Amino acid sequence: MENFVQVLIDGMLSGMIYALVAAGLCLIWGVMDVINFAHGEYLMIAMYVSYWLGFLAGVDPVISMIASGVFIFILGALTYKLIIHYTIGKPPLAALLATFGLAMFLKNICLNRFSPNFLILSDTWLGGKTFQLGGLIIPAPQLAAGILSLLVVGLVYLLINSTRFGWAVQATAMDREAAELMGINTERIYILIFGIGGACVGIAGGIMPSYLAVHPEVGSLFGLIAFICVAMGGFGSIPGAFIAGILVGVVEAIAGFYIAPVFKYIAVFGLYLAVVFLRPRGLFGW
Amino acid sequence: MDHRLLRLNSWIVFLAVVCLLLGFGPCAGSVQAAEKIIKIGTIFPLTGPVATAGQRCQAAVQTAVEVINNKHPEIKVPLAKQAGILGGYKIVLVHADSQGKPDVGKAEAERLINQEGVWALIGSYNSAVSKPASFVAERAKRIFMCGSSSSAALTQRDMKYFFRLAPTDATESVDFVEVLKWLNKKKKAGIRTLGVIYENSEFGKHAALEAKKAAAAGGFKVVADVGFNPGATNLNSEVQTLKKNNPDAVFGAVLGADYSLWVRTMKQANFLPKIIINYCSGYQDPVIAKQLGQDADFFMGSSGYSPQFASLMPAVAAVEKIFKTKTGGVPFDGNSIQEAVAMLVLAQAIEKAKSLDPDKVAKVLHENTWVSPLSLGGKVKFVRGGQNAMAKSIVTQLQGGQYKRIYPEKMADAQIIFPMKPWDKR
Repeated sequence: MENFVQVLIDGMLSGMIYALVAAGLCLIWGVMDVINFAHGEYLMIAMYVSYWLGFLAGVDPVISMIASGVFIFILGALTYKLIIHYTIGKPPLAALLATFGLAMFLKNICLNRFSPNFLILSDTWLGGKTFQLGGLIIPAPQLAAGILSLLVVGLVYLLINSTRFGWAVQATAMDREAAELMGINTERIYILIFGIGGACVGIAGGIMPSYLAVHPEVGSLFGLIAFICVAMGGFGSIPGAFIAGILVGVVEAIAGFYIAPVFKYIAVFGLYLAVVFLRPRGLFGW
Repeated sequence: MDHRLLRLNSWIVFLAVVCLLLGFGPCAGSVQAAEKIIKIGTIFPLTGPVATAGQRCQAAVQTAVEVINNKHPEIKVPLAKQAGILGGYKIVLVHADSQGKPDVGKAEAERLINQEGVWALIGSYNSAVSKPASFVAERAKRIFMCGSSSSAALTQRDMKYFFRLAPTDATESVDFVEVLKWLNKKKKAGIRTLGVIYENSEFGKHAALEAKKAAAAGGFKVVADVGFNPGATNLNSEVQTLKKNNPDAVFGAVLGADYSLWVRTMKQANFLPKIIINYCSGYQDPVIAKQLGQDADFFMGSSGYSPQFASLMPAVAAVEKIFKTKTGGVPFDGNSIQEAVAMLVLAQAIEKAKSLDPDKVAKVLHENTWVSPLSLGGKVKFVRGGQNAMAKSIVTQLQGGQYKRIYPEKMADAQIIFPMKPWDKR
């Protein structure tokens, strides 16, 4: 029983990270119908920002994740202004291919600047720290990331559902032209949505160097899992993406422990396929 | 057609024919007589999670080429005292990035042979890449020198043009089991059970297979068989599986960034067996060892070289000096040095064969024993299938960030710290 609870905790903590990464993607997808292929690369860049702040200035990831969040907010807003803006009104494939190009660009910039070597941040505040509850071990970096995920996703949810800005976002998502007729500056909404979506993944990436090595490929699998969470949760549903993230984490951990570690991603992608077949609009989609 | 255009076309055709005759065309050979160069292709993972290791392997081949192409009287390895081979031929390297992926490695081998026209290939670090890339070379009758890939399956294919320098994971598994037996005898260690953790690749799966075979032959029971997909976002369930089965010893085949994640996850889960021994993996990477700090200590692994072996291999220092200029001061490790040996032995064989006929050079490679001051065994001798029968490695342990020689005892420079010190007592 103790093993089961430990595996469940590990799975939920991993899942919360996936949820935080997915929340940003979900926001952009839900409001703008844009699939941001560069989402995993945003995560990777956030990790680099956090790593270099830690390595050069001694700033711990717990603090530098704020800088990572701000940096990726700006990167997200610039992505919209310089790339996505020119694809609005064009076939959906245009934005998709543009973000794919951006992903390649960002990855290769990092390869060129930082080399493909993986970088490990040592002696962080949370690195290697754990809490013990009886026989259960809760790793501090993942716990902090999990709590952060709850907070950020909760804040984004409140922002979208309980503020004038959020109503404007919802109106823009439903009908851009009607929203503009109501006096909403949809261009500004789009910039902010791309920025906020980026900030979510930026914060997640900012704290990750506490326990994960940084290298140009690190965001790829996270990006893929984020897509699955968004599709499973229901396009545009932030609570859906959050629950799907946790579900993915738990399924991954249970399959990895009780079946075989090599089976864990098979189980995750199998679950995704099952959801797509049985409920194509996702668990919480409409 | 316009008369002038017709004349221009005739000139273009004429020039194309002249170029082809002079050997500048797409089918130009790899051995370019006019320039006296021999093109050798390298395939290593220059990007991806094991890129650090791949880049060092490439730097090692470049170092060997520098030694071969120029006079280096201060270096005590064959061919260092002369400039070039075969009376002035220089070796020119053409590099390719496999990304650690078999399909990419295979495509790059095809490109290097068919488009770049290389005369031979060196690579590819990952066994999973060496396997298909060397098939391409074999089909094209090109020699494939494999420095550090350790999957025993590579030399069980009975290929004619394939030569591997490193010890195989089969021999390493036997060595590791010998270490366990030695500890049981010498330290009354009470090691009875074994866990194996490995990446789900050609290298990892084969290493695990050999580990299980050697363990069974040595009387050890394998209680945990943990494979995982390389590049995972976490290794929680892998470590929990090891912890649940609580083996006395663990053999690891975990490369690159996954190695650091594995070590850190074990620390978080507060799990350590009595002893962990690694195949050629993240353990041998001095950069990872440095970045992990104290957490890397007391792990063990096999190694064909580390700077602490300097007294056993005095010729390495002068070559390593060149190598360090290419790696920002990082010394040779057990994998990269094998790639340098691969290049040096190939050059010796070409020189001895006095020919650039791949069949003749392959025959000479098989028939001779090669002096190799950069190898722990001091010599290289290929047997059927292309395995270096004189490949040796020493089992080391990281103590205070230094690779200490532990086993065989006659080559040891430190006492083993056994069992591994718990995480909270470091």
